[in-house]
Parts: sequence; C-alpha cells; structure tokens
Amino acid sequence: MTGVLRIEGLSVSYGGALAVDNVALAVPAGRIVALLGANGAGKSSLLQAVVGLVPSTVRQLSLGDTDLAGLSPERRADAGLSYVPEGRRVFPGLTVRENIEVGMDAGAAERGARVAGMLALFPDLADKASERAWRLSGGQQQMLAIARALVRRPRALLLDEPSLGLAPRVAQDVFHRLRAIADDGVAVLLAEQNAARALAIADEAVVLAHGSILLSGAAARLSPDDPVLTGLLAG
Amino acid sequence: MVTAQLLVNALALGAAYALVALGFVLVLNAAGAVNFAQGDMVMLGGVAAVTLSGLLTLAGVRLPGVVLLPLVVVVSGLVGLLVAALGFWPLRDRPPAAMFVATIALAAVFEQSAMAFFGPEPRTAPALWEGAALMIGGVAFGRQPLALILVAGLCVAGVYLLLERTQTGRRFRAVAQDRDMARALGIRAARLVVGAFALGGGLAGLAGALLGHQFFVHAGQGPAYMVKAYIAAAIGGWGSVPGALLGALLIALFETLVSAALSAVWAQALLYLTLLIILLWRPQGLFGEAIGQRA
Amino acid sequence: MKPGSTLRILLAQGPAPALAAAGAALAWLALAGDSYTIRLATLAGAQALLVLGYQLVFGHAGALSLAQGGLFGLGAYVAALLSLHVPWAMALTLPAAALAAMLVAAMVGVAVLRLQTHYFALATLAVAQLIHLAAVNLETLTGGANGLAGILPVVPRGWPMLLLVWGLFGAAGWMVARVLAGLAGPVLDLAREHPQAAQSLGIDVAALRFSAFVAGAGLAGLAGALHAQVVGVVSPDVADMPVMIGCLIATVIGGRRAVLGAALGAILLTHAPEWFRFLENRHLIAFGLLALAMVIVAPDGLAALVTDARRRLRPPVTPTSAPAPQPPTVARAAAPGTLRLESVGKSFGGVRALDGVSFEVAPAEAVGVIGPNGSGKTTLVNVVTGIIAADAGRISLGSETLRDRAAYAIARLGVSRTFQQAQLVAAAPAEDAVAAAAWRRSPRPSLPAARAEASHWLARLDAGSDAARPCGALPAGRRRLVEVARALMARPHLLVLDEPGAGLSRSERAALARHLRAVCAEGTTLLIIDHDIDFLAACTNRLICLDRGQVVADGPVEAVRRDPRVRLAWFGIDHEEGAA
Repeated sequence: MTGVLRIEGLSVSYGGALAVDNVALAVPAGRIVALLGANGAGKSSLLQAVVGLVPSTVRQLSLGDTDLAGLSPERRADAGLSYVPEGRRVFPGLTVRENIEVGMDAGAAERGARVAGMLALFPDLADKASERAWRLSGGQQQMLAIARALVRRPRALLLDEPSLGLAPRVAQDVFHRLRAIADDGVAVLLAEQNAARALAIADEAVVLAHGSILLSGAAARLSPDDPVLTGLLAG
Repeated sequence: MVTAQLLVNALALGAAYALVALGFVLVLNAAGAVNFAQGDMVMLGGVAAVTLSGLLTLAGVRLPGVVLLPLVVVVSGLVGLLVAALGFWPLRDRPPAAMFVATIALAAVFEQSAMAFFGPEPRTAPALWEGAALMIGGVAFGRQPLALILVAGLCVAGVYLLLERTQTGRRFRAVAQDRDMARALGIRAARLVVGAFALGGGLAGLAGALLGHQFFVHAGQGPAYMVKAYIAAAIGGWGSVPGALLGALLIALFETLVSAALSAVWAQALLYLTLLIILLWRPQGLFGEAIGQRA
Repeated sequence: MKPGSTLRILLAQGPAPALAAAGAALAWLALAGDSYTIRLATLAGAQALLVLGYQLVFGHAGALSLAQGGLFGLGAYVAALLSLHVPWAMALTLPAAALAAMLVAAMVGVAVLRLQTHYFALATLAVAQLIHLAAVNLETLTGGANGLAGILPVVPRGWPMLLLVWGLFGAAGWMVARVLAGLAGPVLDLAREHPQAAQSLGIDVAALRFSAFVAGAGLAGLAGALHAQVVGVVSPDVADMPVMIGCLIATVIGGRRAVLGAALGAILLTHAPEWFRFLENRHLIAFGLLALAMVIVAPDGLAALVTDARRRLRPPVTPTSAPAPQPPTVARAAAPGTLRLESVGKSFGGVRALDGVSFEVAPAEAVGVIGPNGSGKTTLVNVVTGIIAADAGRISLGSETLRDRAAYAIARLGVSRTFQQAQLVAAAPAEDAVAAAAWRRSPRPSLPAARAEASHWLARLDAGSDAARPCGALPAGRRRLVEVARALMARPHLLVLDEPGAGLSRSERAALARHLRAVCAEGTTLLIIDHDIDFLAACTNRLICLDRGQVVADGPVEAVRRDPRVRLAWFGIDHEEGAA
C-alpha cells in the first residue's frame, strides 16, 4: 500500500464494543479518499483515532516518513495532520480571525499573511473577520473550520461530514474547494454520509459498515444510484 | 476629602481582589473547575513575604518590598504548580466536583500548615513603598495603597494583554473553550493548563504580599479571599476575565463604601445578600454573555 | 484469636455481626469508658448524623452544598436558646432544632437548587456565611463571640447521652438504608446522573433534590443540637467554615453514599486529634492529605473499601433463579389526542436547528423522521419532550400545550422517550434501570415487584437475558433496548424514540421493528427518528424528512422514499446537478 497517510490494522473499542474493526487504508498526496457509511458505521471514530483523540490499537499509522502511532494529538498535528471535526467545533468565543490564527506556529507577520490568504480564499469569512465565531451561520462555521485546518498547511486533511446541515449550494461550494485543496497536493480523507456529493469529487471510496471496510475502489466505479450502495448507506 | 481617600482605598482593595479573581478565573477556564485553594494561596503569598523578609533581615540583608515581590511571585507560582499536580492532574478526567472537593482538602492542608509552621498570630508584611502619606491637592494619600494600585494594575493589564493580544493568550482561550479540538490543532493544552495554575498562584501570592502590609497576614484568612474571587467570577459571568475584574472592583467598592456608611459587618452581610439576589435574578451573572450552547 | 482474623470474620459475615459488634462496643464504652472517652464518642455520633445528612445532599442528590455546616450551627443555637429561655420545653429542643434547620433549608432550597453546581455551591456558602455573621453579631440573642453557656442536655451527659446520640444515628441510618434499598435507590441514582432521563419518566428531579436537601438539613440541625447539649456551650465556631470543611472531608473519607461511611468518617474526624496525638498540632494536615488521597484513589471512600473487602472474602451468592417476569398491572394513561406542531423554531447561536416545522401525528399512528445528520431531528425530539424550549411556534398534545412545560410535566401527560446516547446509570443492572419507570405509579410498587415487571418488558424486546447485567457492561445497541424497555414500562401514550436501531444488528433491528409494530397496535402513538429507512418502513406507515431544520417531505413511506427532495437531502442525488 502506498500513500502519504497510511493506516493498517486500526481498531477502536468503547466498553468492549468494537466501533472500528481492523481497518486499513491509504491516502496518497493530491487524492481524495471518500469514507462512506451510515451513521454509526464507525467513520467518526476512525477519524478521531487517526487524529489521536480516542484511544485505538493500530499496526501501522504513518504520515510520510513519520510514525504517528503512540504520538499525542499535538505531535500528530505537528507532523502535518489537520482535522475538521463533525459539528465544526469552532472556538465559539474567539473571533473568526483568531480561530484561523490560533493553530499556527509562525511569527506574527507570517501568521497575519496566512490569515489574509485564508480570508481571500473564503470571502464569506472576510466580512466577519472580527465577529465571534458562535454568531456565524452553520455554513460559515464550516468554512471557518476548514480554513482553520488548512492554514496550518497540512500534508493530510481529515474531514468529518463537512456537508452536515449545509444548503446544497453551500455544500457543493465546500466540495469544490476540497477538490482544489487536494489538487494542491494535500491528501484528503473525507468521511461523508452524502455519498453522491462525495463520490463526485473523490478519487477513491471506502465503504464502512459496522466498523469494518465492506468495499473499496475507484470512486468512478461506484455509482451513487447503485441500489447496493444506497442500501448499505441507509442501513 | 474623605471620599477621595475612600475611593483610593477602595481602588487599592479592588486591585488586590482583581489579582485574586484573575487567577481564579484563569484556572477556572483552564481546568473547568473551581480552585477552592485560591484564597489560601493568597495567604501563603503573605506568609512567604513575611518569612522571606524575616530571613533576609536575619541574614543582614534589607531588601525593599519591590525587590521582594518577584521572589514571592516565584514561590507562589510553585504553590500553583503543586495545586495543579495534586488537585487537578490526577482528577482531570473526572467531573468538576472532584477537583472542587480536592482543592477544599488542599486549602485545609495549606491553612493547617501555615497554622503549624507560621503560627496563628497575625503579622505584617513589609511595605512596598514606605514613608509618610503623600499630599496631593491638600489630601493625604497612603503610599502603600497607591503602590498597590500601580503594581496590581500593571499586572492585571499585563495578563489581560497576554490573553487578548498574544498567540499564547489566544491558545489559552481556545484550550478553555474546547480542549480536544485545540490539541488537534497542535496546541500544547496540558502545558497551558498547568501554566494557568502557576500564573494563578503567582497572582494570588502577589495579592497576598501586597495586602499583607495593610491587612496583616494570618493563617485563617484564606477562605475570605477565595469567597471574594468566587463572587467576582460569579457576578462577572462564569469564566469571563473582564467580568471577573469588574466584579472584583465592584466588591471592593461595595465593601469600602458600606463599611464607611454602616459597618464592616453590614458590608459583609449585604454583600452575601446582594450576591444571592444577583444569582437568583441573573444566574448567568451581571455581565454574562450567553454563548450558544451548540455552535 | 488474632485481631486480624476477627476483622476477617466481621467483614465476611455481612451487616448483622458488624451491627452486633458496634452495639457491643457502644455498651462497653457506656459501662467501662471514662468520661472523656464517652464524650468523644458522643461527639462522634453527632458528627455522624451531620455526615449522614450531607450524604443525602451531596452523595445522593449530587448537590455540592456548602451550607451543611451553617445549618449545624443553626441547630446548635436553636437548642441552646430553647434550653436557656424555655426550659419547660426541653423535650422539644431536638425536634425544634431539626425543624428550624429544615425551614431555613426549604426557604433557601426553593430559590437556589435550580442553580448549576458552582453557582449552587457559592449560594449555599453565602447562606452559611450569613448564619455565621448572625451568630457573631446578634449579641443580645447569641451572646456574640462569647457564645452561650449553661445549655442543659435532654438526658444526662455520659452514657445516656452516648446511647441517645448513637441510637438516633442508628434509627436515621436504618431509615435511610431502608429507603435506598427500595425503588428510591435506582431512582435517586438516575436523577443524579441523568436528570433528563429521570424527567422523561415524569420524575420531578427538582422536587427530589429539594426533599434530599431539606432532609439533610434536618439531620444537620439535629446533629448541631446534640453537639450543643454534649458540650454545654455554643460559640460562633459551631457555624464556621471548619465545620463544613470537616463534614465534607469526613464524607469523602468515609464514603459519600453508604451509611457505614458516615459513621466511619465521623469517628475518624472526631478522634483524629486523639489518635494522631504524636503529630501534635499537625494532625489536621495529615487529615487533609488523607482526604485528598481518598478523592484521588478511592472516590467512594472507606465504606466502599470495606464492602470490596467483604465481597472478596465472601463472594455474594448469585440468585439461582431470577424473579419470574410479571406483566404490568396498570393501565396506560388516557389517550390525550393528536400531537400537533405549528411553525416550531429553535436556533443555537447562528445555526437554525428547527425552522418553521409543522406536522401532526394522530393517536396510535406510527411516524418515522429521517434526515441527514444535523438536520434537526434530535432537536425536534428535545423540543417536543421539553428538554429544550422552542423559540417559536406551538406544540400541543390533544388539548394540552406542551411548549414551555417542564419535561417531567410533559412525561406525566403520557409522553415517553429514549435518548441517542442511552442515559443509564452504568453500575445499575438493566432491570433496575427499567424499574425506575414505576416511580410515578400510585400505589408505588416495591422494588422486587417493579423488577419483575421490568423483566417482562426486557423479555418483550428479546433482552431478558440482560436483566441482571450492569448497563455499563452492555454494548451500545443493547443499552438502547434497555431504554426502550424503560420507556415502555412508563406506559406512554406517545413514545418518542431517538435512533433506537443504531448499533443493533440487522436481525435485531428487524425484531425491534416487529415489537414496535405490536406496541403501536396496542394504541401507542410512535414518533421514531432513525437513519435506516428500511427499519422505519418496517415499523411506521408515514415518514417525515427534515433537512436543515425544515420539513421537506411528509407522507407515506414509499412516496417519501421516492421524493426527489428527500433523495437530494439524504443521498445527495440531485438530478439537475447530475446532469451538469
């Protein structure tokens, strides 16, 4: 298996119940891998385990040459992992600008320039740069969560249900941007329930059910209309 | 001009309370729980000031209060680290009530230790700025209150700027709002939380040393300071730094004015009654801004 | 016989020998103890009553009150004043002191019990400080800092007082233990750890907390009065902070819930200066450090250590046969009519979770709600069941308005629910979790009767084998079934289920759908939220699809399934987009 982000034999259990069961996947640089599955299939747990926020057992977990297994979430982030969590989780009391700036390890001038870059990339946020984040709409908060992750110039970007609660047009916009981000050389792992939208931009897809991989392959080979797939995703 | 002197005294007391409340809120935000030992950390600051100056005098060194303060702050910062190590770190995954109870026990340990090793009798900490009262516009002002306002004001302003204007401060606020998410962004959350305890300890110790000249230092005074900080945080809006600072100033003003008009006892009784009324009328505090429960 | 083996036997034989030993120790003390020893043991008994009361407030109701010490002081002063000014009413001093403390607690509790943990602690601290200030400053009444002397005891000091104090503790402890051994035990645990779930069973959690707070205050007042009578003098010290701190520390060391813990903590606290005399004036430092260590390593206190040791020496006998499941004996609540939502809205900050939602559910109808994550489904459940208040619109059930009604009051109209994250006390066996639903019945059944009915409901959902297992040990899907059983045992008219099928296997889900069908056929209205359309198709006839807080489709299952707006919201299949 090749790829910038490599996961092998990853399992997560909560109180004896396996939420993720021996999952292996790889995300190459510049590619989007869509992680599909119904609610409760284990997508969020898988992502949180990779980020290091839930304990897991893993045979191999690496980003480029860096072994991530056993590292704290902070060190994984330093190694080039960025995370856009489910429910966005922007820092509600920080302003939009502060939310973007807070995760950067750089001098003040460099930080300012990179924040300005992000605000240029997300014009919706530029108008609200000094607003507290909790006042933003759901779509704006999602953009902010992505900007906050992206500004750290990650090698791999993990997103958990970024279309959650967004209007179709806004969701479409978010997904187009993800394609552009991947085209800049970032490895993108995208957990989504909205299969059609994810498949439209993904290079590969992995379908998760009850914590294990049910099928995987090139995104183009999977049709969102496929009754097998819709059946799986719904149940 | 009695009122001008009164106001300066109120401001001096408020500045010292603000130091205590600031440390209290910093720890509250970082650990998500009340540090009941904050008041006894103030007391230990006073004890440290008295003891250090005593030791130095014995050694034949006579340092002015201003030079002593940084030493007291360092010692108190270490006490803050001790509180973090015993009262917070082992309980970080438990409900906030666990840290509350643990710090109550720690407060009792601090108080009893001071009682045993320092003695129960009140003592006076060295003055920050000695000398006769200053005459300004025909009104006499004590030097200590003025020095207190200056030092405490500078420290509060410094911490406030640190929080609002620096990357460290931003990170600290991010950790207070969502610790896990902050960690996923590479922010060293544990370091910031422990740092908050050290800073909170340092601020408490500073307040203890500053107040110890005017109001004496004695082993049993801790709870009173803790209650003031607690009230300041509650009426200021739980976790709000400017709210707590304003709350501290209001408490001092209230105490000073009511004491002057009625008596110290009435000042205390009315303070508690007012607190109860505020809590029932506005449970989010006087200046609390209700942040959406779910972003 | 070595003392060690005596201890082993005491531990192994359960409460009866322990009680006998305690009685023997008391008798020996009363007969042979010197006056100093007796006095100390009597004070320990008063302290034990104080701690027992604090266990009700802090341990059982989960309210971190800092007023317990102040109420103790209040009781002491009331006893002192009565004994000095109304000597003919000596017999009434103890009840009067307890009542005075309860009265103050009732007045305070009405106002402050709804505050959150840290505000509640502060408010109760303020009350305690006010009591202390009054003791110091109302000199004509309290004697000021000097206090009052010459307080007479109701029975002579010495062994009669010793037996009275420990007798009262024994009686109070027996009553508390008896109440907790019944249905109140699991109900209090649920109300403390998952207040929302308790409310969903019609339990008025606030009233329960209030009762515990007032009862705890009564014991504090009684303890204070006994203390004053033993010592013969009161001073403001009896109402000061150290009393509260000592009570809290004794509770933490002894254990916050077990009656035995109250006695152990109090004896240790009272005798520490005696037993740790070699530490001179440093015994309180050691005591504080001990409390800190207990919080960290043994949060359930000495009582739990004793219980564990006993369990290790003599494992409890597992009952060979579980009680036979009993079908319910009560009828369901009268049908209140149609559930009606009109333009209901709810926002969190800038996010509109519900935006003009309107629909109706007729009695005995089964309706499924679908929608992508974040579309507002759980908010809908929370708004209907009163867990959160809607910002706009009308919600009614028959002729009753639900909006702005308390969650427990909605539950009492015959509305039951389950939660997305099952809200069950981890340590409680499944049958106890379900049995809690019988709390509101009149007459209230005994715990065994409620357990037997609980087994019936669990068995009905094919979860009978889980009845005796602690909820925390069950997988997530099985925990949900326990919640469904609990909701069914409440005999609801309207049952609202939040993702009951998540975490279950395909066959378990099919079985659950069958059971829900049967429940509906018996006349219960169902509103079921789930992601699995096949599951919903199996147990409902009608689907409502939410997207971004709005109803985008509402109709028969097959029609909604084919609705293009639903496919867009749900699968992201947008034909216009697909063509592009």
